[in-house]
Amino acid sequence: MKRWWIWIIAGLLPLQAFALTGEEVMKKSQAAFLYPGTDFKARVVMKLINKGGQERVRELTMLRKNMGEAGGEQKYFMYFFRPADVKDMSFMTYKYPAKDDDRWLFIPAINMVKRIAAQDKRSSFVGSDFTYEDVSGRDLEDDNHVIEREGKVGNRDCYVVKSTPKGTDADFGYKLTWVDTSTFLPLKEEQFDKKGAPYKVFTADEVADVQGIPTVVKRSMKNLQTGHRTEVAYLNTGYNLGIEDSLFSERFLRQPLRKWVE
Amino acid sequence: MKFSLVEFSIRRPKLVVWATVALTLLFLTQFPKIRTDTNPKHMLPDTSDVRVWNDEVDKTFGLYEDTIVVGVENDAGVLNRETLGRIAHITDKILALPGVASRDVNGFTTITNVTAEAGTLKVGPLMPGAPKTDAEVEALRGALFGNPLLVDRVISKDGKTTAIYVPLEKGANGAEIANKIHAIVAAENGPERYYIAGDPVARDTFGAEMFKLMGIFSPIAGMIMFIAIQLMFRNLALSIAMMAVAMAAIIWSMGLLIGAGFPVHIMSSMAPVFLMAIATDSIHIFNEFYFRYREKHDKLAAIRETMQAVSRPVRYTALATAAGFAVLLFMNIVPVKVFGGLIAFGTVVLRLFSFSLIPAILTFVKEDKIAQAAANESVELDRSARLLRGIGRIGTDRPLAVALLGVVMMAVAIVGTTKIHINNNLVAWFKQSSEIRVADTAMNQALGGTSLGYLVVQSKEPEFMKRPEAMRWLEGLQRDLEGMPVVGKTFSVADYVKRINRVLHDDDPKFDTIPETQDTVGQYLFLFSMSAKPSDLDNVIDSGFQKANLWVQLKTWDAEAMRQVIHAAQTYQQAHPLAVTVKPAGIAYFNLVWNDEVLGDMVLGLSLALVVVFAILALAFRSAKWALIGYVPLLFTILLIYGVVGFTGKDFDMPLSVLSTLSLGMAVDFAIHFVSRFRQRLAESNGGRSEAAVREALLWTASRPGKGILRNALLFAAAFSVMLFAPLTPYIAVGAFIVAMMLLSALLTVLYLPALVMLGRNWLLDEPKPAAIAVAAHSKGD
Repeated sequence: MKRWWIWIIAGLLPLQAFALTGEEVMKKSQAAFLYPGTDFKARVVMKLINKGGQERVRELTMLRKNMGEAGGEQKYFMYFFRPADVKDMSFMTYKYPAKDDDRWLFIPAINMVKRIAAQDKRSSFVGSDFTYEDVSGRDLEDDNHVIEREGKVGNRDCYVVKSTPKGTDADFGYKLTWVDTSTFLPLKEEQFDKKGAPYKVFTADEVADVQGIPTVVKRSMKNLQTGHRTEVAYLNTGYNLGIEDSLFSERFLRQPLRKWVE
Repeated sequence: MKFSLVEFSIRRPKLVVWATVALTLLFLTQFPKIRTDTNPKHMLPDTSDVRVWNDEVDKTFGLYEDTIVVGVENDAGVLNRETLGRIAHITDKILALPGVASRDVNGFTTITNVTAEAGTLKVGPLMPGAPKTDAEVEALRGALFGNPLLVDRVISKDGKTTAIYVPLEKGANGAEIANKIHAIVAAENGPERYYIAGDPVARDTFGAEMFKLMGIFSPIAGMIMFIAIQLMFRNLALSIAMMAVAMAAIIWSMGLLIGAGFPVHIMSSMAPVFLMAIATDSIHIFNEFYFRYREKHDKLAAIRETMQAVSRPVRYTALATAAGFAVLLFMNIVPVKVFGGLIAFGTVVLRLFSFSLIPAILTFVKEDKIAQAAANESVELDRSARLLRGIGRIGTDRPLAVALLGVVMMAVAIVGTTKIHINNNLVAWFKQSSEIRVADTAMNQALGGTSLGYLVVQSKEPEFMKRPEAMRWLEGLQRDLEGMPVVGKTFSVADYVKRINRVLHDDDPKFDTIPETQDTVGQYLFLFSMSAKPSDLDNVIDSGFQKANLWVQLKTWDAEAMRQVIHAAQTYQQAHPLAVTVKPAGIAYFNLVWNDEVLGDMVLGLSLALVVVFAILALAFRSAKWALIGYVPLLFTILLIYGVVGFTGKDFDMPLSVLSTLSLGMAVDFAIHFVSRFRQRLAESNGGRSEAAVREALLWTASRPGKGILRNALLFAAAFSVMLFAPLTPYIAVGAFIVAMMLLSALLTVLYLPALVMLGRNWLLDEPKPAAIAVAAHSKGD
């Protein structure tokens, strides 16, 4: 029994995982979740389901182009198909780290492009349970991130990271994110409100391999306080398609190129 | 051998007393479980159409059942940096309170505003933080008064008042949250005045007043009765006995109510005072006992004879009272039902005591004490007895004149009843000076109105509401409604569409209209939903765009206001036909439905009570003719009181309408006592049915049992007079009603029964003798 110290080290082994800090885990997660590839395209079908089970559908094509490294500037283009009366509406966002986004909207019925102030990242994305932040990410510097423990989602090992906002601008008090230890995709996120009560739950319901990149192709967000939930499916996903920078302009907002949005 | 409860009680008085004490303690153990229910919604069962529909509307449009409104008023205007700083600070603290639905709190810092600044569309909180410069304050002023959606909602036209609307999560404790908000605003220094109003606050205040009535006013009523009894009989043991009987009956009834799991409601909170008053019916036993004892000077014999003489009337009066209250079990309004059952039970218990506990206690009373007290009890010596005889004599000697006067008064009273105005205004249940009334008045003056109704406009087709014609229809209806004096502000999805149209076109007033195509409307709403709080749109339109919810803020809680709104909507629809249906909802609509239920219940209750009381009278007298005679003073009393209510223009509300039913059951007691005792007396007397004999018997009845009636009425009135000082107006109205009814019906019984009997004596007394004998024989047989 002289080698008792071996057992102690063996017992401590899982802690090796903690070699990463909370910040590092979230940074890797952001890169894996929101920045893979140089660009990305998906046909997005969102189902907005209320407490009574009534469904509303939003269908759009989403294009994303990274302008630099992971964590850097990005451009988003969204072209709506459904609901029927908003067909041809398109929405463009220039996303900057640590600065308010620039947003433009094309309203086909009055043939007008309008800049939209992005003062509130907490507001709902097209009436869903996802906020703009949930869709395009939240600045990592806005929160303190600490690895609380290790956990599992299904059979996947995860870091459980607690993120607490530094300021008061967030719509949550803190959140716990289950980050896959190998893919670094967030598999689950529990948000708690400022009073500490469970608020919203995000789940990555299906992860698929797209051109060698693990991608969350089905996800959902449920508001536990209102019973409202949103289910999102990504169809026809593709990476590194060579989307031109010129697409992200007012001209194409009015008249998007078919090959990109169809 | 027939078991006699009275005999048993006289023989084993100690056993009876101890058994009562034990049972009373048993019921008392239930008291700690007491809970109150002051939610006006619970007036109707949760399966009632209006509640099911209102719940559905709440669900469809994501509406909250309860909202606290915090008013902030500054005579110098709220738009200055100091006041705005305080408002921001207060709102932050409110948002952090548990139970507050923080995401949907609407105040300066949280309410959604749609503006255009330098070509950029801005949808977001009106004032994300307190302004730091005067220029920012001026910008806020511009934003507020430039957006009709905000004026009269979060800012008064004169800029002196703002409001924070605080919706509560389901099951949150409104009273607790209101208290915390009180503490939050109390911590702020400054010239601002704060008003905290809304349903949850009203309910809580109501609950507190209810406990006050039960805990303070009921004991005071008891004390007053105790003193009154003591003055009447000058025997402490007797006074204590009567109070003990009343207390035991109250404890049994309330214990049963609480034990059975019923919450105490506005009606049942009055039960202790009612039971205390009903207990005074046993005064007839004591009254008679004193007279008998004076004649016989044998206590046990006096008890037996007393019980024989009064058993029949006492039993039937109890039956009548219990039946009067039991009629309430057929009502639609839940608390009224519970109240009816409660008092019916209490009355039965009281009568059980009349034949057990009271005789048992009488055996304990020392003979010399009774002798002392009874010395004054004689028809000849007693002043009040002589007065009563005098009143009776007016009836017997001038029957025609008395009857004619009655007919005239009845006619006048009937005119008065046609002026009765049914209305339940829950806020008016609080006194003018109460905090809640003050807050409600101030908010109604400054902002769009505190009473909220909805008009749900539904189509059969999905997406229909996005059509420009539907939007314009909504807008037109709003303009129509806003022309009504009772309507403060209206609010619908059309307001958002117009606002967005204008803002997208550089705030050009020309575009303050509904756009031409459905696609435009759809895209505007989509645009709005991209940036606003989800609830902003959910509150006014359903997810399928098939139902729109038009908010109507009313300046008064009068139920009539919502009826006017519904009528105006119907008229509008006739003038502007569109393939939609309009259904009212909301608390204001609930109040209207409930108000109509009160009316329906009153008509039903009154008819039922009239039938039941007549049946009981006929049964008690074994004669329909006598029942008819006994009916007269009763009807007369009620007509007179209703006439007065009609002439004074007081709102006829739920408590009064319930009383109208009950009063029949209670006021009939006097007629039963009078007629039974008169016929007994006449049967016992030797004068046959000659006019002189009838007159003498009537005068004897007026003075001897009449004294019991007078004492009963005085005690009743004394107990209820306490309620005149109660803090809630329904209690005051009930108090005044009962005091008036008891005194009036006692007087009318002693005056009109002799007159009517004299007038109709040939018709009344010309019946086969066995009936009269049967009555006498029956009463002796007990």
